[in-house]
Amino acid sequence: MSLNLEFVFRVLVFPGFAFVLLFTMICDWVERKIEARMQNRIGPTYTGPAGILQPFADFVKLLTKEDIVPLDTKNFVFRFAPILSFSIFVFAFLFLPIDGANVILNSSFEGDLIFVLTLVSVANFFLFLSGWSSTNPYSAIGATRVLTQFLGYDIPLFILALAPAFLAHNLSISAIAVNQRFPFALLIPWAFVLFIITLQAELEKDPFDVPHAETEIVGGYETEYTGRRLAFLKLAKDVQIILGAAIAVELFLSGPYGPVFFGLPVFWYTLWFILKLLMVIVITEYLTCVFARLRIDQVLVANWKVLLPLSILSLVATIAIGLWLNPVVG
Amino acid sequence: MSKKTKLSPMLKEVFAHILKKPATRKYPEVKPKVPEGFRGKQIFDINFCVSCGLCARDCPARAIEMVDVDGKKRPLFHLDLCIFCYQCAESCPRNAIKSSEIFELASTNKSDLVVRPETSTKKGSDE
Amino acid sequence: MTSVEKKILMLLSDRLGEKILQIQTPQLGKVFVRVNAGVLRDALRVLFEENESAGISAITGVDLGKSIELMYHVRTHGTIITVRTEVPKEDAGIESITDLIPGANFHEREVADLFGVTFDGHPTQRRLVLPDSWPRNLFPLRKDAVIASIPNKLENAAVSDEDMQPSEGRTLIKVVMGPQHPALIEPEKFSLRVDGEIVKEVEPRIGYVHRGIEKAAENRTYLQDIYLVERICGICNACHAACFCQTVEAIMGISVPPRARYLRTVILELNRIHSHMLLLGHAGLEIGYETLFQYMWRDREPVMDIVEWLTGNRVIASFITIGGVRRDLKEEMIPKIKAELTNLKEKMSFYKHLFDSDPTLKMRTKNVGVLSKQDALKLCVVGPVARGSGVNMDVRKDEPYAAYDEIPFNMVTYNEGDSWARLMVRLAEIGESINIINYALDNLPSGPYRVRVPRIVPAGEAFGRVEAPRGELFYYVKSNGTAYPERVKVRTPTFANILSFVRIAEGGNVADVPASFVSLDPCFSCTDR
Repeated sequence: MSLNLEFVFRVLVFPGFAFVLLFTMICDWVERKIEARMQNRIGPTYTGPAGILQPFADFVKLLTKEDIVPLDTKNFVFRFAPILSFSIFVFAFLFLPIDGANVILNSSFEGDLIFVLTLVSVANFFLFLSGWSSTNPYSAIGATRVLTQFLGYDIPLFILALAPAFLAHNLSISAIAVNQRFPFALLIPWAFVLFIITLQAELEKDPFDVPHAETEIVGGYETEYTGRRLAFLKLAKDVQIILGAAIAVELFLSGPYGPVFFGLPVFWYTLWFILKLLMVIVITEYLTCVFARLRIDQVLVANWKVLLPLSILSLVATIAIGLWLNPVVG
Repeated sequence: MSKKTKLSPMLKEVFAHILKKPATRKYPEVKPKVPEGFRGKQIFDINFCVSCGLCARDCPARAIEMVDVDGKKRPLFHLDLCIFCYQCAESCPRNAIKSSEIFELASTNKSDLVVRPETSTKKGSDE
Repeated sequence: MTSVEKKILMLLSDRLGEKILQIQTPQLGKVFVRVNAGVLRDALRVLFEENESAGISAITGVDLGKSIELMYHVRTHGTIITVRTEVPKEDAGIESITDLIPGANFHEREVADLFGVTFDGHPTQRRLVLPDSWPRNLFPLRKDAVIASIPNKLENAAVSDEDMQPSEGRTLIKVVMGPQHPALIEPEKFSLRVDGEIVKEVEPRIGYVHRGIEKAAENRTYLQDIYLVERICGICNACHAACFCQTVEAIMGISVPPRARYLRTVILELNRIHSHMLLLGHAGLEIGYETLFQYMWRDREPVMDIVEWLTGNRVIASFITIGGVRRDLKEEMIPKIKAELTNLKEKMSFYKHLFDSDPTLKMRTKNVGVLSKQDALKLCVVGPVARGSGVNMDVRKDEPYAAYDEIPFNMVTYNEGDSWARLMVRLAEIGESINIINYALDNLPSGPYRVRVPRIVPAGEAFGRVEAPRGELFYYVKSNGTAYPERVKVRTPTFANILSFVRIAEGGNVADVPASFVSLDPCFSCTDR
C-alpha cells in the first residue's frame, strides 16, 4: 500500500493527531473558563488572550520539571503506562467521524462501537496500572478506586450505548451518526440523560470524583508522577474527557452531521462536531459544579443499585420505541 | 416538611452565574479603595516628637529603635518587624505618628523597609 | 456568689468537712476552694456526681517557687468552681482524674509536659505539646527553666515511633494523616489504624506549632500582651483579646463604659460570622463541593470589609484594649454596615436551603461522625460541637460578658450529633449574629469608649471566659503587682474538642475522616499556642 499524502495528512494533522491535541487543549480551556464563571470567578486570564494558552503553558511547564522515579516501582510499567493510555485514547479517535468521514478513510467496520468502547476500557486500565505500579499507599488506594469505578460503570455504558445502535440497526459508529435524521437525544432522551451520568462516572468528575479526591488521598494514582510523565498522564485524562464527549455526540447528537449552508461540507461538519462537543462538555462541567463528591461506597451503590437497572430498563424502552418507529428511522 | 421534593437551589444558582460578572477584583490593574482609619505605613512628624521613647517601650514587636538624630533620640521604624498595631501612635503623647494608605510594602531591598525619622516629614513617601 | 454556687459550697462542706483548707473569692463572685492533694479526687467526685453535665474546663498549673499549684476549673451549672491544690516541686505527682472524667486527658498531659507533674494512673505518658526530642527534665513553664540552653537546631532529631500500641497480631494497616496532608490546613498528626475501610484506632499528636506563647506573655507588659495573645489565632483574634482584657479588668476591678461593651460585642460577633463562613466553605472543600467553597468565601468578603472599616485591618482587629476599645465607630458608618448585613442575611437563607435540600451534601454529612450527648458531656467538649449534640452550653448565656446580658438572642442547638448538625448549628449562628449586631448598632449608647488604666496591675488573680466561634475560650491571669504578669493561662476551645475526634472517627469509614474532622472546626494554632 503506497503511503499517499492524504492519508498522512489526515492521520497526523487534520482530523488526526494534531487536531486532537489542539482540540484537547482548547476544550481544557473551555472547561476551566466555564467552571470559573459558574463559580463567579474569572479562570485563566493572563496567558494569551483570555487565557487560551493556559493548558499549553501548563503542559510545557510540566515538561521542564524534574523527572523523579521512586526506587521501588516497577520501572517499565511506571514509565509506559501513561503513554500507552494516552496513545490508546488517541487511537480510539481514529474511528470517530469528525469531518464527515473517519480519520483513516474507510476504516469503519460493523461493530467498531464495541471496539471503541473496549479501547476506552483498556486505556482506563492502563491508568489504573500507572497508579498500581507506584508503590505508595495513596496511589494504591486511588488506583483501586479507579478500577472499581470504571469497571463497574462500563456495564451501564455498554448497555446504554446499545440503545442508539439498536435504533440505527447498525453497530458502527459512523453508520449510527449518519442514520440520525433526528438526533437520538430527542427520540430517546432517557438514554441520553443516563449516558451523560454514566459518562460523569467514567470520566471521574464530580460527583464521582473519588479516584482523585485530593483531600483524602493526596493525588490518587498520579501522586508519584512528576515532570514529563505527569504531563502525559494529564494529557491522557484530558483526551479521555473529549473522547467520552465525542462518543456521546456521535451516538446521540448525530455526530458531525448537520445543515450545510454554503461552501465545503467538510468545514460545516467539523464546525457542527466542535459545537456539539463543546455543548456536551458544558453539560458535564455544570454537573461537576452543582454536586459534592460521593464516597466510594456511595458511588458503587449508585452504580449497581440505580444505574444498572435503569440502563436495562432504558434499553427495553428503546427497543419498544424502535419497533414502533421503524418506518421513520429505517 | 413541604410536600414537593426540594430541589437543590444550587442548580439554578450555578446556571445563573454563567452570565453574571465575576466577583474577582482585578488587582493589580484595579487598586482597592482603602478605608479611612486603615493601618498602613507609618508617617512620622519630627516636629511633634519630644523624644520620650514611649513608642519604643510599648511596641509589642520591639520594632522601634531610638536613634540619634541631631543630638536627640528619634524613633526608627523597622517595617519588617512591625505588626502595624499602632500602639506607638496611641502611646505617643504628641500624636507624632500617623497612618497612611500605603500597604504595598513588599520589596526586594531590606533598606526599603524602614521609616527613618529624618525623611518622613513629607507625606506619602511611597516606595 | 450566686445561689447555685452557695448550694455547691454547702454540699462540699458537708461531704469534706475540715478537709477543705480555704474558700476564697479573689474575683468577684468566683469560688476557689483549696484542698490538700490527697483530697482532690474526693472534692472533684462530689462536683461531678452532683451534676452529670459537669465537666473540666481547664487545668492550670502555676509555679509558686517551692511548689506547683494545680487548679482544676470545673464547669457546672453554667458557672466555674475552681478546686486548687499544691504539690511539692521535687516530687510533683498527683492522682489522675481521667477515670472520673475522660475529658481531662489532654489537660493533664499538657501540665505534665510543661510543669513536670506526674499524673498517676493516666492512660499514656507521651508528650503532647512539646516535641519528642525535647530534653526530659526541662519544664518550660517553671520559673527556673533555662530555655536558652537548648540548641535551636537539633542534629539527627529522631521522630519517635512509639506512636501506637502494637496491634497484637491483628492485621491492621496504619495510615498516617499528617503532619502535612491536603485535608488538614494546619499541621497535626493522626495515626489511624484501619481494617479495610473501617477505622479501628486513632491516636492524635499535636504540638507542631507550639510557640510558647504562655511563657512569652510573662516577659511582656500587659499592653504588649494584648497583641501577643491576639496572634494566637488569626481567625478568632478578637475573642482572645477580649478574654484577656476582661480578665485583667477583673483583677483591676474596673468596668468598661457601656459604649465600649457594645462595640466589643459588635467586633466579637463579626469575628464569629467570618469564622463560621470560613469553616462552611472549608467544609465544602473537604467533601468535594468546590462551588460551595467559592460562593461562601465570596460572600464572606463584605464581612472582612466591615471589619476593615471598623478597625483598620481585615483580619487581626487590634480593636480591644484594657479599659475599652481603641477607636470609635462613626455614626455615618452604621447605615453602610447594616446594608451589608442585610445582603448577607438574604444569602444565608440560600445556604440554609442548600444544606437542607442538596442530596450529595446530605449523603456526605448526615449520620457521619456521630457524637452522642453522653460522649459530648464526658469528653467535655465545647462550642458548636457540643450544641450540635444537644448540650445547651453557651458562655454568652451562662455568664454574659460585654453587652450580651442586654441583647436578646437565641442559642442554637441540634440534637442529631452528626456532621450535618454541627454545620447547621454554625449556619444558624450566623443569622443570630447578624441580629445581634443590628440590635447593638441600633441601641449603641453614647459616651466614652475607653477609660484610662494604670500600667501596673495590682496583685491578684482572675479568670475569664468568652464564647469564641469554636467554643468556650478560657483565660486565667495571675498578677504579682508589677507591670509584667506572673502567669497567663490560655485554654482554647479546640484543645477541649480534640478528644472528640478520636471518638468520632473510630468505627467509621476512612473516607469520612476528613469530612467529620472538618465539622469539628479544628484550629491548631489555637490548640498548640
